[in-house]
Amino acid sequence: MSEITIPTNTSTFSVALVGNPNVGKTTIFNRLTGLRQKVGNYPGVTVDKRRGAMQAGHNNVTIIDLPGTYSIYPNTEDEIIVHRVLNGLDEENQPDFVLAIVDMSSMERGLFLVSQVMDLGLPMAIVLNMEDTAENQGIVIKTHQLYKALGVPIIQSNARSDKSLKSIEELITNKSFAKPQPFLNPEDLLPDSLANTVNKEFNLANAYQAFQLIRFHESEVLLKKYQKDFIREKIAEANFDLKEAQVRETKLRYKAIQDILKQCTEYKDIKTKKLTQQLDKIFLHKVGGYVVFLGVLLLIFQAIFAWSTIPMDLIDGFFASFSGWVYETMPAGVLTDLIAEGIIPGIGGVLIFIPQIALLFGFLAILEDSGYMSRVVFLMDRLMRPFGLNGKSMVPLISSVACAIPGIMAARNIGNWKDRITTIMVAPLMSCSARLPVYVILIALAVPDENVGPFNLQAIALLGMYLLGIVAVLLVSIVFKLILKSKEKSFLMLEMPLYRLPKAKDVAITMFTKSRTFVLAAGKIILAISVVLWVLASYGPSSRMEAAIASIEVPEANADQEVIDDYNSQISSVELENSYIGIAGKFIEPVIRPLGYDWKIGIALITSFAAREVFVSTIATLYSVGADVEDELTIREKMDQEVNPQTGEKVYNIATSFSLIVFYAFAMQCMSTLAVVYRETNGWKWPIIQTAYMTAMAYVSAWAVYQLLS
Amino acid sequence: MTADQITKGAFAFIEDLIPSELTLHLMEMGFLPGKRIELLHQAPLQGPMAFKLENSVIALRHSEAMLIQVQMDH
Repeated sequence: MSEITIPTNTSTFSVALVGNPNVGKTTIFNRLTGLRQKVGNYPGVTVDKRRGAMQAGHNNVTIIDLPGTYSIYPNTEDEIIVHRVLNGLDEENQPDFVLAIVDMSSMERGLFLVSQVMDLGLPMAIVLNMEDTAENQGIVIKTHQLYKALGVPIIQSNARSDKSLKSIEELITNKSFAKPQPFLNPEDLLPDSLANTVNKEFNLANAYQAFQLIRFHESEVLLKKYQKDFIREKIAEANFDLKEAQVRETKLRYKAIQDILKQCTEYKDIKTKKLTQQLDKIFLHKVGGYVVFLGVLLLIFQAIFAWSTIPMDLIDGFFASFSGWVYETMPAGVLTDLIAEGIIPGIGGVLIFIPQIALLFGFLAILEDSGYMSRVVFLMDRLMRPFGLNGKSMVPLISSVACAIPGIMAARNIGNWKDRITTIMVAPLMSCSARLPVYVILIALAVPDENVGPFNLQAIALLGMYLLGIVAVLLVSIVFKLILKSKEKSFLMLEMPLYRLPKAKDVAITMFTKSRTFVLAAGKIILAISVVLWVLASYGPSSRMEAAIASIEVPEANADQEVIDDYNSQISSVELENSYIGIAGKFIEPVIRPLGYDWKIGIALITSFAAREVFVSTIATLYSVGADVEDELTIREKMDQEVNPQTGEKVYNIATSFSLIVFYAFAMQCMSTLAVVYRETNGWKWPIIQTAYMTAMAYVSAWAVYQLLS
Repeated sequence: MTADQITKGAFAFIEDLIPSELTLHLMEMGFLPGKRIELLHQAPLQGPMAFKLENSVIALRHSEAMLIQVQMDH
């Protein structure tokens, strides 16, 4: 059979990056692929498979950035992904080569993972990264000795320097990967006969793959029941002790690695005063540490609320005038209305969040890259325990102030199932940036713009909403702590890396990619809803619509302007009432009446179930503020003037406004979040529970607030 | 004695790991018999403890440190 020849300029291969957390893997990935990255469908941090494209000579190379792990034992979600990809269980993402990144200042742990990858038998190469840190610590690695011991290509690098990057690029371009010899003798791990039987049945490449499959077959969802039964049977036949085998493997591996490192490492005298130790004396101080953390949080909030107003006002102003320009320039008609009232404000409603989202993700990237985030985990773990949360819950919860989606995805790092589920369940209660426009507009209606001492009442109310979110998180966590049962033991175990200065380019790339994914994902929903809403609000069952319009008395031809204006506004009012969306709002009115809402607010609630920020644009469309839809002052004035036709009282009185604020604080109104929870928990159970409890909580609290205040 | 009893700034050698479901995790992080550890920081209210283990600093909860049998190094 003749070989199929593929033209060199189109042939592609894929390289998976593996390594421990904090070894500079993402920096290498970013620098190899630049902005040619694909990051999942949702805004957020590391998604299952971060992929990027790289041009290497004539080849288009796909780089797969796997999550950082210490081993390929599948304990946390991240490790499961690494385990699957490297074991070939994930057929779509089988890499051709593996590039293992090792922190030179932490060789033993790095080589643990590397030696496991070697045993899997994939062609690989090793990058010894963080040359500079190792140098500072007086560690010298004899690369050639190590190469002789391991038998795969090794390069030393400092991923932040251009020279090192070039050598990594060259390594990939020349495909300087080698198929390694097994690091451990497979016979030490499991009986040959067992390995052979399983290899044959599952078509595996070597004994270590068989070992992995046997060890973890029970939790492997990709296996069919009869396959699991087969493995179970063979284990019993061979009288093979799984747990013991894994402990033995770990001990053997460390022993072998320590022997190698003795040959290849030299320690030089180093300066005792290290910057990290000095900084930790402050950052981890029993009192000072918490003061610093509070200061960091205040700085972030200051940035989100104060600094971002300038670009936000610019975006706001731009879209308002753009809408106006479209009105004036385009011929009057349905299409112009759709564009100027539906689409442009819809897009503006998304883009206005960019400054806040970008700033927040920028801060999070700085905290993460600098190594400070793990100090936060250290400080907060004890305080989170009574609530059934984990120090590692801090990252998801803080991220959720920007958006619950990256927050929920960040919960992957929590190894314990119960702590992780609790964190996922409560993360959407943190006040996310999408609630901000809703709060701003409702607080302006309910709270007077007055000062008490140096403090503005409205600002205090807004701060209060953030605190309310935090209190809700803690209380609901306690409930989940009491309800959820788990056999697993909660554990922390966390490495505190050396502090380093985050690289501006990495932070910028994070800010850009996160904002872009937010705009594309959230934007699609908001845009679609804006358009659908506009259509549903403009059309209704024609017989019903005509009858309603006919019932209004037509003014005489010579009537003055005031009468005609009044007639027009009556017409648009009944048109809305008899539109499809109006009928839907009327339908749910009896349910929301006890909360103090009318059918128009009902419409806003319905549309907000897709995304809560839609509230403002819905209200804007409903009260047809026209070209100024994104001008919150105008909307607020309209809302303030809205009266109940039966009672003649203001619709947005204090009781209704506060009731709405509380409803929006607790209700699950974000389809993207539900989609992520579905994906992260592998099923509909948890998203349904989340929607149910949050909606119930919102309804009851809003009802209580309304009854108390009215 | 176990590692949770180490005082701040003191050194100890790891003797053995008390078998538990966390044994493998601890070994993965490098807590192995024969290694020398130092307690660098202790969070308030019996919170996590930060140990220096060779070139890295690793935080453990009290309950996890209790699983490491140590001998003080004076």
